[in-house]
Amino acid sequence: MKELFPAKQVMGFVFSLVLTVVALFVYYTDMSFKAGMTLLLVTAFIQAFLQLVVFMHAGESKDGKAIYTNVLYGVIIAVVTVFGSLLILLWDM
Amino acid sequence: MKIDHAQPLEYSTDQNQLNILGFWIFLGAEIMLFATLFTAYFTLSHRTGSGPTPAEIFEITPVLIETFVLLTSSFTIGLGVHAMRLGRKNAMVTFFGITLLLGLCFLGVEIFEFMTYYHEGATYQTSAFTSALMTTLGTHGAHVTLGFFWGLFIIIQVVKRGLTPQTANKAFIFSLYWHFLDVVWIFIFSFIYLKGMM
Repeated sequence: MKELFPAKQVMGFVFSLVLTVVALFVYYTDMSFKAGMTLLLVTAFIQAFLQLVVFMHAGESKDGKAIYTNVLYGVIIAVVTVFGSLLILLWDM
Repeated sequence: MKIDHAQPLEYSTDQNQLNILGFWIFLGAEIMLFATLFTAYFTLSHRTGSGPTPAEIFEITPVLIETFVLLTSSFTIGLGVHAMRLGRKNAMVTFFGITLLLGLCFLGVEIFEFMTYYHEGATYQTSAFTSALMTTLGTHGAHVTLGFFWGLFIIIQVVKRGLTPQTANKAFIFSLYWHFLDVVWIFIFSFIYLKGMM
């Protein structure tokens, strides 16, 4: 039974729960918008990275490099799309 | 077909490795798809017209249930893949089954949440905010729904054919998809719900 619950994945799960609870501070405490968004950006991206490495085994095979490059490319396009649009449409720059 | 026994079953043939790499490229495109939906939501979430604002319709309890259910399901499918690598077919099928049940719980809560919005007068046509919100949540929910049936067929195949390089490969790729949906949910949870209720 014990071999079915590897320490790495159990720790990954516990850590993801902790990150979620930390993110909840923006709801349960009185935080400025800026501080709240900073906290959320940090917890969300750590959480995503955790899933990628611990649960999705991204770097495990010989294609690991190609996989990380591909994900990084997707994330760059995503970040440019989101923040580029916000800059033009919302922040009036 | 050359089988490399030094590798886990799901990586054991060249075709399998290509399938996994190919699926990662698809996930890259999915990241971009959700980026466009988040863009639409962020730029439109202030345009509430005569409808409700995010803070007025969001409730923490269903969101918390959805988040913890999906996080747990991401953990159980991870355990499923681990059991698969140990060759423990029954344990793997059990973990995949628990994952799908949690997926159903998630969908149930989400449907309940959408019904609440509807009764509070926040429908798809109410404002730019509600349209963008429901398109984003709906796209994620549709992915989970698709994932439920996909996972169901994977389980049936593993039960019928056992753990072969092919079924292991399919199960592993399905686990990638499921983890990805959890990642998308983390961003929905943080930047739609928590941001909206701050």
